[in-house]
Amino acid sequence: MSAYLLCFILFCIGLYCILRKRNIIKIVIGLGIVEYAVNLFLVLIGYRWRGRAPILAKGREILNMVDPLPQALVLTSIVIGLAITALIVAIAMRIYEKYGTFDITRIRRLKG
Amino acid sequence: MTLIVKTITRLTVGLILLYGIYIVLHGHISPGGGFAGGVIIALSFIHLMLAFGKETALKKLSEARASVMESLGAIMFLSIALLGLLGGYFFFNFFIHKGRPFTLFSAGIIPLCNIAICLKVGAGLFAIFVALVLFKGAKETE
Repeated sequence: MSAYLLCFILFCIGLYCILRKRNIIKIVIGLGIVEYAVNLFLVLIGYRWRGRAPILAKGREILNMVDPLPQALVLTSIVIGLAITALIVAIAMRIYEKYGTFDITRIRRLKG
Repeated sequence: MTLIVKTITRLTVGLILLYGIYIVLHGHISPGGGFAGGVIIALSFIHLMLAFGKETALKKLSEARASVMESLGAIMFLSIALLGLLGGYFFFNFFIHKGRPFTLFSAGIIPLCNIAICLKVGAGLFAIFVALVLFKGAKETE
């Protein structure tokens, strides 16, 4: 149970980083922390106490294995997270070219 | 970069590439597989680029060739899946000899799929990094 709580704390750290920081690069890092917290939570759901990885090995019978389904889901999630991070970094670089700053409070022209 | 970084990179970058190839080829009998191995292979080229600059890395694997290899991976995966239609359905194992389990040549089409995914992921990740680097350089010269 404490592992889930630690996962939630990690999520909150990432959320604080997204909402409170003003530098775009720090916001990207915060998004990464949130993403890893959610991935960790999904893997922990499938964990069983003293479970082995669900891989066949020679001459060994698997009695107690972890759930492989969240792991496959998280693998896909990591790929999508990579693409999202690349997209955000590209947008941040465009913003830096256009405005010359990473500070989101100084990007005036986006305000209405 | 400094001399220390360049020397260490020259020593280790081949080992990193070899480890990535090992992860890909043993993907069906041990943890790992196409995605993890492809990421490690791409990281070896990115390592080269960080240490020696973009010209050296682009000489080893140019942007156009990375694009071609990425497309080749996608086409290879699709054609493996479509060749299964010879046996009746999608992703059918079209090899007659299934191979002994827990040896390198086993598991039917899964190693071929791993190699296709490795090409796609490795070249794609390297292309993303090159795009971000060149994008910055191109705008500065204007």
